[in-house]
Amino acid sequence: MSNTHLEHARSLALTDSKYYPSLMPGVLPLIGPNANASLEVQRFGADFLAEMFASPMWSAEAKQPIALLVLDTLKYYLDEVHDRGVVKGAVQAAASVYPLVYRHTISDPNDKPHWQTMIDIKSNILNRMNTASPGIRICCVKFVQQVVLAQTPGVIDPRRPDHSDVSLALVPRDHPLLTYVHLEAEGHGLLDRLLDIIHGDHSDALSVTSVLNSLGVLIHRRPVVANKVLNSVLNFNPLKLANSPMTPKNKVNMKAIERTTRALLVNTLKRNTTERPNDPNNGRIQHFLERMHRMRQDMMEESSRKRPAPAERTDGLDPAKRQRLAAGPPTVTTTAPPLSPGPVSYRQLFTIDPENAAANFDVKMFQDPALVQQILIPILQSIDEKKLLEASNVVRSRYLALSHSMSRQQPPAPVDEDEYEPDDYEPEDAEQVANRLDSTGDITHVAPAAFKLPEAPRLSPEEVQQHGALAVRRTFGLIGELEEKGKATKGGFNRLAASDYGRDAWITIAARLATRASAGLDDPDDGIKDEYAVKSIKGTLSIGDTIRDLLYDYVIRDWKKRIDVAVSWLNEEWYNDAILVQAAAASSAKSSTNGVAPPKGHYHRCALRLIDGILPYVAPQDKGLIRLYSELPTLDYEILSRMKTMAQDPERVGLATQVLQYLHMFRPPVKNVVVQIAAELWRENDRAKPKAGQLLKAWRPEVLAEAGGVEVKMEEADANVNGNGNAVAEVQAAA
Amino acid sequence: MSDPRLRARAHQQQLAPAPAPAPAPPPPPPPPMEPPVAVGGTAAPAQDQAAVASDSSFKLKFCTVCASNQNRSMEAHLQLASANLPTISFGTGSLVRLPGPSITQPNVYKFNSTTYSTIHQELSNQNTQLYTANGLLNMLGRNLNIKSYPERFQDWIPGKPRLEHKDDQGFAGTESGVVDVVITCEERCFDAVLEDLHNKGGRMNRPVHVFNVDIRDNHEEALVGGRGIRELALMLNEAAVQEMETHGETGWDSGGGSARAGFDERVPDILAAWQEKWPNLPATWSLAWF
Repeated sequence: MSNTHLEHARSLALTDSKYYPSLMPGVLPLIGPNANASLEVQRFGADFLAEMFASPMWSAEAKQPIALLVLDTLKYYLDEVHDRGVVKGAVQAAASVYPLVYRHTISDPNDKPHWQTMIDIKSNILNRMNTASPGIRICCVKFVQQVVLAQTPGVIDPRRPDHSDVSLALVPRDHPLLTYVHLEAEGHGLLDRLLDIIHGDHSDALSVTSVLNSLGVLIHRRPVVANKVLNSVLNFNPLKLANSPMTPKNKVNMKAIERTTRALLVNTLKRNTTERPNDPNNGRIQHFLERMHRMRQDMMEESSRKRPAPAERTDGLDPAKRQRLAAGPPTVTTTAPPLSPGPVSYRQLFTIDPENAAANFDVKMFQDPALVQQILIPILQSIDEKKLLEASNVVRSRYLALSHSMSRQQPPAPVDEDEYEPDDYEPEDAEQVANRLDSTGDITHVAPAAFKLPEAPRLSPEEVQQHGALAVRRTFGLIGELEEKGKATKGGFNRLAASDYGRDAWITIAARLATRASAGLDDPDDGIKDEYAVKSIKGTLSIGDTIRDLLYDYVIRDWKKRIDVAVSWLNEEWYNDAILVQAAAASSAKSSTNGVAPPKGHYHRCALRLIDGILPYVAPQDKGLIRLYSELPTLDYEILSRMKTMAQDPERVGLATQVLQYLHMFRPPVKNVVVQIAAELWRENDRAKPKAGQLLKAWRPEVLAEAGGVEVKMEEADANVNGNGNAVAEVQAAA
Repeated sequence: MSDPRLRARAHQQQLAPAPAPAPAPPPPPPPPMEPPVAVGGTAAPAQDQAAVASDSSFKLKFCTVCASNQNRSMEAHLQLASANLPTISFGTGSLVRLPGPSITQPNVYKFNSTTYSTIHQELSNQNTQLYTANGLLNMLGRNLNIKSYPERFQDWIPGKPRLEHKDDQGFAGTESGVVDVVITCEERCFDAVLEDLHNKGGRMNRPVHVFNVDIRDNHEEALVGGRGIRELALMLNEAAVQEMETHGETGWDSGGGSARAGFDERVPDILAAWQEKWPNLPATWSLAWF
């Protein structure tokens, strides 16, 4: 009868979790210690309690007072009821309740009875850890995980206080019931127990995967222990079972452990890469995953290639031949590891067991001497005399051995006293700092040794070049980002180059760096083989050419807007060439050494390359080309002859002749060359003939006279050709 | 055949000769129960189709998961529900993806808000013949009789009562919104489930056995896989019921005999035995936490 009652209560609570608090007074007497309830009802009760505290539908604040009510019932289930179903439910409920009672005790330090009941429940569950049947054991694992969560310090971010995260950070240091140090030590101890499980017997995949699946939260929410947990997982061989006979069950277990490990690590990695991208563990996890993947693939390959060996033949039957898989039980005798060779600190000398968590404990943390006394006296009282004797013998023998070796050696190097660095304790106040400074003054033997950074490995020439090119490329990235100035304010002769941080300044710097930095350092024979192939001279160290390449690219990318860049760059080249020639002339005049070839300039080569690069992109109306040509510092036959090339495109004949005309008018020094080009144009290019003819008529009519008698005919032919040319252009346009 | 493109192509080839029933009006005929033609060597072991869970008071609760909560998880959902087991089902993909007129034009829907009948309606308006021929309408018709809309695993809040799902098949027993066993149909989904459970943080402290049974995503394999899952689920349920029966002082101390062992520790054995029987459905398992 009570059962239907209870079912009714449960379904009511499922409709709305707000009924839970009001239902509890009615339900508890039916399922509790004094109810003489049937097993059926007790099972229901345990499941109901587990379900109630697990429900995400109501808050931890609301659950907290209810948690106190059910402690006695849980204790009764665990102590008195011997049924798997009941115990499983009770342990699950206890795992949910523990943080609630813990937080209650923090806020109410005088409520000893409830906390005592919780402690009883805890010790009951912990005692079951190793003996209970696996189904209960996994629930104990989860309980232990909750205890570890509650008893290790969480992240305290004052900007984002997380009230739902119950951690050691909430416990005040002077709490009468909760001793910070004890809780912390217990938390670490229990974590070790969890981690022992995954390194233990892998034929119990149930426990191993249950632990692995509970570690994710610890890694995520407890950065203090994340490293320890990760180290443990990364030192763990998920394919350990591969060495044992491949029974179907072993296969299932191995695959389960492997997949679960992978899921845990992948999850951690994903979180880390978003939250802590620089965590050095990320690389290790990646590496571990890859290795695991390879190992698995190797095994799969092997099993798919060959037939599996018959089971009875394996050497596993012979205990003498079997590989030892599991580590033996830890030896009870205290065997102290030998000291590391070299100088030893007092701490190392007295540390018997460096693995123990207590070895990393800094006593300086206690600021209250009374607290130290409170802890020390019980510890001293509880020390096992035999152990103490053994330990002091170990230290004694170490000390003797050390002093022996010391007498033969130099006095020890100064010991680094401050190697312990707590990562998250409150900053020391001024007084403490002063105290410390005082005390360090007393230690006379601590001489500050000069600290030398290890020397960086030498860069190979290729690397040097790569890094140099990288730097240059970054400069050009900057140039590309800087907006081109709308209207440059003309500073006249008073302006200084590169005096602001604008684009022009950087261009100037880059161009001067390209031209002047390595001027005169070139191998005089260099580049003879192929004058124009800047890109092919890989492997030289010339930074200038790297910059030139980038300048070239920069101009080519939008040549119409960047004529000024091109001109200022080529001006720098020309100027530098001129200076070099002067210097060479001066030095050869002085030393009169024969055979010093005048330095080869870069201007000519760069200008040609740039013009060649631009020409394919020049449209018939691009007057910018005229400007570019007119502003180039020096023109010669070769540069100008590019106009002939351009004029081979009938559409751009006009532009070519315009360039020539302009230069003829405004650059008298190149007049002769211009006329020469025009004449060649007239002779070689039929389509350009009319336009070139017009120019020549004014400049050098005798060229036209060369053709003499055939001129009239030519005119006619020109018209034809012109017509054809137009036709061609039309066809091209249509295409 | 790991390449999804190849798989999709094979899928189409397999589907092409399938007899096209008359333009499917909802509600469609129940899923075909005749043994399917052996595809890719997957032979269905002889099995008692009528096996259902006994009506004892205790039953394990199940959850089936595939990518889109349409084909494999729904077939398994139906099988488990008709075996009298409490069942819910989910998909782990970001969206519900169904094949469209071409491989580059899939039909994509949102989880949790698009009902099976809406999708059915839309597809039959789009191209009744095509979607009848490739079996989509048939599948959707089956689904809309099982539950109302595809649900996404990652959006599921375990422990949130599911009273509003009371018309779903296999609802009885799943009121409280938790399950004992999750069965995924693809390794990707298995990984996604474990990953999501890590993210949810195990706040309920409740153990859950997560299984993966690899099933290729086509109608025939889904049917075979659904039967495999049904058998696995019945084996697990039987072990759990046995654990419940061996209660009291007798069951507590006296060990020995696999039936005496608890349910949880028998899971690897059960899976191993099942795997021997169903070698074409590679399976794996892990114990995780809600």
